[in-house]
Formats: sequence, C-alpha cells, structure tokens
Amino acid sequence: MASINNESVASINCEGLTIREINTGIKRLIAEGETDIVIQNPAARHNLGVGLVSPVKVTFDGSVGYYCGGMIDSTTIHITGTAGWGLSESMLNGTVIVDNNAGNGAAASIRGGIVVIKGDAAARAGVSIKGGVLLIGGNCGYMAGFMGQKGKIIVCGDTGAAFADSMYQTECYVGGTVGELGNDAVVSDLTAEDSAFLDETIRQYLPEKISMLGAFKKIVAGRKLWNFHKSDWKTWREVL
Amino acid sequence: MCGIVGYYDKTGSNQTPVGQIVLDMLNALGCRGPDSAGVALYNSHNVGCTILQIKLGERGHFEEKGWHIAEKMRELTDVQDASVTAEYLRLVVDYSGKPAELERCIEQLDPDLEVVSMGQSLEIVKQVGSPQNLDDTYHVSSFTGNIGIGHTRLSTESRVDLSHSQPFWSHGYPDLATVHNGHITSYRKQRWRYEQRGVHFYTENDSEIIGVYLADQMTKGATLEAAMRKSIQDMDGSFSYVAATANSIGFAKDPFALKPLLVAETDDFVVIATEEIAIRAALGGDFPVREAQAGEIRVWQA
Repeated sequence: MASINNESVASINCEGLTIREINTGIKRLIAEGETDIVIQNPAARHNLGVGLVSPVKVTFDGSVGYYCGGMIDSTTIHITGTAGWGLSESMLNGTVIVDNNAGNGAAASIRGGIVVIKGDAAARAGVSIKGGVLLIGGNCGYMAGFMGQKGKIIVCGDTGAAFADSMYQTECYVGGTVGELGNDAVVSDLTAEDSAFLDETIRQYLPEKISMLGAFKKIVAGRKLWNFHKSDWKTWREVL
Repeated sequence: MCGIVGYYDKTGSNQTPVGQIVLDMLNALGCRGPDSAGVALYNSHNVGCTILQIKLGERGHFEEKGWHIAEKMRELTDVQDASVTAEYLRLVVDYSGKPAELERCIEQLDPDLEVVSMGQSLEIVKQVGSPQNLDDTYHVSSFTGNIGIGHTRLSTESRVDLSHSQPFWSHGYPDLATVHNGHITSYRKQRWRYEQRGVHFYTENDSEIIGVYLADQMTKGATLEAAMRKSIQDMDGSFSYVAATANSIGFAKDPFALKPLLVAETDDFVVIATEEIAIRAALGGDFPVREAQAGEIRVWQA
C-alpha cells in the first residue's frame, strides 16, 4: 500500500484506499521512522491525518475534506489545496498550513500551535480557541473567534459579521475591515509586544503580507460579559 | 443531511455532458442521502416545444397507463413526442397557453398523475434509491445540455417516495427548479399563508416551499437573484439551496451558515456542491473552491 518514492519522501496514493487504510498507512510510515510523508490524491476526503502525535511533516497534495488534522500534537500538516469543515479542530500543538481556502470552523478549539490559511476562511473560524495562533491570509466569515478563551487570531483581510463575539482572553488582529464587531468586542491599542508578534508571525508564515503590518488593529473582549448581574436585563437583551 | 449539486456551463455549448457531471457528483455524495436521488437537467437551446415529465402514480401498469394518457393528451394539445420510462410519461408538446392550465388539464385526466417538471429546457427525473439506480433507469448520464442540478436525500421529516424527492419544479412556473439541504423552520406558517391564497402543495416536504416562494416572487416581477435575496430574509432555518432556470443558476446560504455549500468558478463553468469531494470526483482539476459565506447569494445568468 504505502510506497517509498525516493530516499527522503514516503508517499501514499489515496486512490482506491479507504480512509482507515490511509490513516493507518500514515501511522505505519511514522512508526517506520519516516519524517516527511506525502499523501497523493486526497480528493477532498474526510477525516484524514487525525490524531497524529509525532513531530513529522505530512503533506496532502490536493484538497482535504472535513476534520483534517484534528487533535494532532506537534505534527506539521501542509495542505496544497482547500480544507473542508473543522480543520485541525482541538489541535494541541503543531503547524497546519493550507495553501487555499478553508471551510467552517477552522481551528476551532485549538490549544496550541499555529494554523495558517493562506486564502479565505468560512464561518466560525477559531471559535472557542484556547491557545495557539490562527493566521488567515484572506478574509474570514461570520462569527470568527466566538467565545475565544486564549490564543491569537490574525485576519489579514476583512472579517464577516459578529467578529470576536463573547470572547474571554483571545486577542484578534485585523488588517482589513471588520464587518461588524460581535457582542462585547472592542478595538484596543496595539502594544509593542503585539507589533513584534505580528511582525514575527507574518514574516515567517505569510511574508507576502509583510507590507500591511501597519494596517492591523487589535480587537479584544470589552469584559462586560465576564461579570454582570443576573437582573441586568439590558445586557441580556443585547447578547441574546 | 442531504447532498445538493449544480453545474453551469459558461461556454455557450449545449453539448456539455451535464447529466454525467451531475451524476458523478451525486454518486460522490450518495452517503449524505441514500433515500432518493434526482436531477433537473437543462438544454437552453431547446426552444419552442414544452417538455413534460409526468409521474404516473403509484399503482403500477405504467406502460399501459402512460400510453393511455398520451392518447388523451393528443386530444387536448399537439403532442410531438411521447415515451414511457418506468414511472414517468415524457411528453413533448407544442403548447402556447398558460402552463398552469396545461397542468390542470393533465391532473384532471387522472387524480394519480403529477407533473414533475414542465419547461422548454428543463427535465426532472427523481426516484427512491441511489443516483446509480437513477441512471440505470433513466440514463441521465447521456443527457447533454448546459445546466444541471441534483439532489441526494436523507429524509428527516416527510415520507420517502418519488414525489417527496428533489429537485422540485415550481408548479406553474416553467423551467424553475430547486434543490435544498437543510430545514425551513418557517415552513408551516408560510405554507398556510400560500394555501389561503389557493396555492396547492404536492408534498409535506418543507423544501417544496422554496420553489413556491421563488415562483411567487418572480411572477410578481422579481429577478431570480432578487427573489433569492429576499428568501433568506423571509425564511427561517438552516439551509443551502440551489435554484436554476433555463438560463441561470444561483445558490443561497442561510445567515448562520449552518449547512455546507462549496462553489468554484472557472472561465468555462460554475460548479456548486455540498462537499468538495463531489467536485473533484466529477471534474478533477486543482481549480480553487471556496465555502459560501453566511447569507451569501450568487446568481449566474446567460
């Protein structure tokens, strides 16, 4: 099933294989000591490369479907096409790079590492993010960053409506236009630390966006929803 | 879950294998909806005659019944061609009157009859079972034209039979068809309002209301795009849907983006599908696709 193409890169051709065969194939190659694995013809199939916990590089040569790279730890995943819903959901650590667009719920609930989407992200990117970084080269859709607890979200383009809604301590940076701020989201001043972080991250992962470094604004929680009295009906009405 | 797909040829050809493309996409999405499958295929270069796909009921003897109905139709209008395949009678008629009147005439011939589609370019076939079964019965893969939409159904609230399958033709409005993935939660309220105005509903499927709504808006003069734009304000629920006419195709997604829908456009075509897996299975290539955004509407028109 799995074949070694040349000395340095092991590969699996997905054609004719079940999802289970592909995923066990990846894990077998890792167990055999391979550190650079290429998956050919993923054809946008679901649940690929889920639960990998080794510091290896896995390249999906094409598009992947739902939940690619979910729950990984310390693995590097490179997707040369598009990613479907739930990209790298609940990742603990590692690097996920998508050369094109991503579907709903990208990097939802990640705890560490970095997810880079070079194109656009659809709705609910980075919801409930608990750590790590989500970097979007293009635009993001509706309700990105909803209930973010920690971590950072960088959107180089424009955001959709309800951006950064009901957040805790996630810090968001937007280079383009904010479609609409979510509940309790406020614009804040960039600190020297923020600027250094943006400079370093964008220089490393999206150097073609370096010229827009000066355009970023920071969005954080206004903390009004962190504590409010249960009889405060005005706040209830606004939020719900 | 359901799977919906759409394909729109931009080159001006009427020889694109839209039947095969839509079928390939539906086969790839079959696991999203194993209950039934259906396609609405268009050849915009067909003008003049009206093509009818008529469901012959549920009591068997389709061949015999089909020819009997065809004979009766010859007395009513100029029938150019008639054929019976499985549960369907297909008629090509030279008819210049009101579409609703022709439909009423057909329904009066036999209460079991249902006009599944009517139009100069549009033909719908759908049935219980897989997309492959649909092709085995109706040879949809051999259809050439320029627009196609399709559906694989997982029924959640209404019965599984031919009539409740999709695509839905908007009764009384030639060439307008829709496919829908999701739920229209305002269905009961909206249906009641239409019924007060005398609109007949053919199924208990909430998806049927989308076509009724669009036809109503377009009869009042709205463009397909304007009607679709208004639909996402007037309809509640989780939905992605695709609508097509003889010369246009469009998609709409609910304002909360609860249902998937992917879209890609190249110089030659527009392709729309619930999952990218369908697009790659039918067309291959590495052209970029994107998830439609919340509340997004887009229409392409020739």
